[in-house]
Amino acid sequence: MSDDGVSTDVAADGTLASAVNADRLATLGMLMAGIAHEINTPLGALASNHDVVKRSLARLHDILADDVVDEHELGEVRKIVRALNGTLRVNDLAVERVLELVGSLRSFGGPDRAEVDRADVTEGIETALTLLRHKLGSGIRVVRDFEDLPPIECFPVEVNQLFMNLLLNAVQAIEGHGDGTGTISVRARRRGGGVLVEIRDTGPGIGPELRERIFEPGFTTKGARMGMGLGLLITRQIVERHGGTIEVDSAPGEGARFSVFLPPTLPRTS
Amino acid sequence: MPDPYTPSVVVVDDEEMVATAVRTFLELETSYDIRDFTAPRAALDALSERPADVVVADFMMPDLDGVEFLREVRANWPQTSRILLTGYADVQNAIRAINEVGLYYYLEKPWDNEHLKLVVRNGVERSTLVNELDARISALEDANQELMDARERLIKMFL
Repeated sequence: MSDDGVSTDVAADGTLASAVNADRLATLGMLMAGIAHEINTPLGALASNHDVVKRSLARLHDILADDVVDEHELGEVRKIVRALNGTLRVNDLAVERVLELVGSLRSFGGPDRAEVDRADVTEGIETALTLLRHKLGSGIRVVRDFEDLPPIECFPVEVNQLFMNLLLNAVQAIEGHGDGTGTISVRARRRGGGVLVEIRDTGPGIGPELRERIFEPGFTTKGARMGMGLGLLITRQIVERHGGTIEVDSAPGEGARFSVFLPPTLPRTS
Repeated sequence: MPDPYTPSVVVVDDEEMVATAVRTFLELETSYDIRDFTAPRAALDALSERPADVVVADFMMPDLDGVEFLREVRANWPQTSRILLTGYADVQNAIRAINEVGLYYYLEKPWDNEHLKLVVRNGVERSTLVNELDARISALEDANQELMDARERLIKMFL
């Protein structure tokens, strides 16, 4: 139980940990089709490459079968070397992409570690953005404006979930508004030894009457399909467990801006 | 015997790994001139300098999606065979592409190289035939015009 005076309505740590865990699994479930597609792209390129290597080898065997390489065959060998060079470049890019995705999945969806660590929150933001790449598609632009941040004492799994929820909220706000295109601006600043992260979207914005309610359990404007309406509630509870603050600033038609402050150290609990 | 005409193919995919993989394969397996791009606008600029027989385009790309890109291609170079290579097995997109841009072929990722080669070859053949047909139609139109002119002259001679 948090008794540092920062907040009075934070759930017991055990309850919050299991809520974060449930929220994390729900998010992963929702993103799974997109992540599968993200893996399919490098896989398709690698499969094509594998085929190119097999064809190249078969041709080299044919050329060398009579132990003589004539002028025409020399041209063929050069062509094969060019193709094999092409496959190297593709392999590098594809393997790098898969490693990045697997790294993000492990960081975000790995075994539940309720450990305290010192972490750079921009890593959590990048993890979320990697897993959201498919949802961002070609219509949502992300603008990053990050200062070099000091590592802060935190529960990294929860901080990952916090930024995933806010970014997913921004994506869904833009997706359901107008032609579904827009911009998410993510700004990270040092603030009093801690960090201040602002996530701004160009979605429909939130009217003053709803602004008070978005952190309530079950509140959603997105319909049952999008989720259980617990994302922002859990987000606020994560922030409070870290002794931080979260504010939303918005007017209808002007998008929304969520500002999260996380202090350098966790509140002392008894 | 060198062929005096080298067919040309343009590949556009915002994923460099896909654009390069397709180019690498087609270069190995065909004697076509293959150009690859990761930005649709750059591909349009390149087509303005030198048109292509076949264009292979991804669907989801920033700035200009595959259907919009192929619509531009059709407006400027109607004889080019237009192929959409998409990772989104989405019937709505397929219908939109076929209806709006007169698609020659709809391919899904991950693609089969042998099938891709066949589709591109057929696309080149189709463009070549369309070009020949255009040339013949234009020759016929010229001949027809000459006949009309001759007829005019004959009528004038006898009037």
